[in-house]
Amino acid sequence: MAELVLAACSSHAPMMASARESAPVEQRDRFFGALAHLRAELAERRVTTTVILANEHFTNFFLESFPQVCIGVGERNMGPAEPWLGIEQGWVEGNPALGEHLTASLLGEGLDPAFSHRLDMDHGIMTVYQELDPQHRTRLVPIVQNCAVPPLMPLARSWDLGVALRHAIDSFPGDERVALIGAGGLSHWVGHPRVGDIDEEFDRWFLARLAAGETESLLDMTDDEIVLAGNGAHEIRSWVAVAAAAAPTPATVLAYEPVSSWITGMGVVEFA
Amino acid sequence: MTWYDMHRCVYDFIRANERGRVDLFDVSTYDLTPAERAAFDQRDVAAFYELGLHGVLLNRYCRQVGYSRDAYREILQPFAVAEDRRGRWQS
Repeated sequence: MAELVLAACSSHAPMMASARESAPVEQRDRFFGALAHLRAELAERRVTTTVILANEHFTNFFLESFPQVCIGVGERNMGPAEPWLGIEQGWVEGNPALGEHLTASLLGEGLDPAFSHRLDMDHGIMTVYQELDPQHRTRLVPIVQNCAVPPLMPLARSWDLGVALRHAIDSFPGDERVALIGAGGLSHWVGHPRVGDIDEEFDRWFLARLAAGETESLLDMTDDEIVLAGNGAHEIRSWVAVAAAAAPTPATVLAYEPVSSWITGMGVVEFA
Repeated sequence: MTWYDMHRCVYDFIRANERGRVDLFDVSTYDLTPAERAAFDQRDVAAFYELGLHGVLLNRYCRQVGYSRDAYREILQPFAVAEDRRGRWQS
């Protein structure tokens, strides 16, 4: 059977690729140092497929139809969607068998993911994938989540999603070695008078909950409460799902930097 | 003349720009209210915010029409609302 050999989360921001140097060097070194640690773990643990959950930023779906979760089941997907991101655009090999198994397994557990044979992967997925696997040696199964357009999946449901993903990975036939990565958050505002603000108190509190394994205290948070840390903070759904998949293993916080020039609280954790 | 129509219009404008095909975009084909049409014609970021344009789209629209984040933050400052609610993380 397949094995989940790495579970981790990282914030994403377009500027971590397109304006990397705009962050102070100390912050940059600590944040990218944490991602370098994960990159080494990915290699050392001989990961064969990376599954990344990230927010859908109107890249694949618009208001005609907006799934809460969509799993990329295609043989390949295109990324990054943004030509200005600073990452070379191109096809990234998928893992159709695993993607279809994840979809079927989630359906069997009462979740109803959409699926896509061709996803365009924007900064949400590609910035983190590029850091973890710059040569694209691992196949990539993208999963986009609705973290932006109400009504949103409740956090408790995101937890259920993560539990179901773990069951699905564990039940996949073969010897696939899987990394499950949540990409997004932490606090930030976009298209809002507070764009550029970072709620460092929220970010540190959230990371501390993951590190203490106190995820129960997160799951009843409503969208009205989460949004106090920014409309971009809804992206913690991806982190909650990965925390669930890794449970009961708590997170180790590898880095946290409130990077003003990237308008985002940038965290990196590993569940180990 | 719906919330959807305004969003579809702005989204299509952004996508046309991103693909270098703004020549194919025709605002007159969208059913916009006079206020929405004025916001579009005048590239009025503040008006779009007041009309309820989604933040992700507003952010992308600002990039397309040449507003930096600092610039649009300044434009939107009059709409900042003091928040008296507190999250559970706030001491």
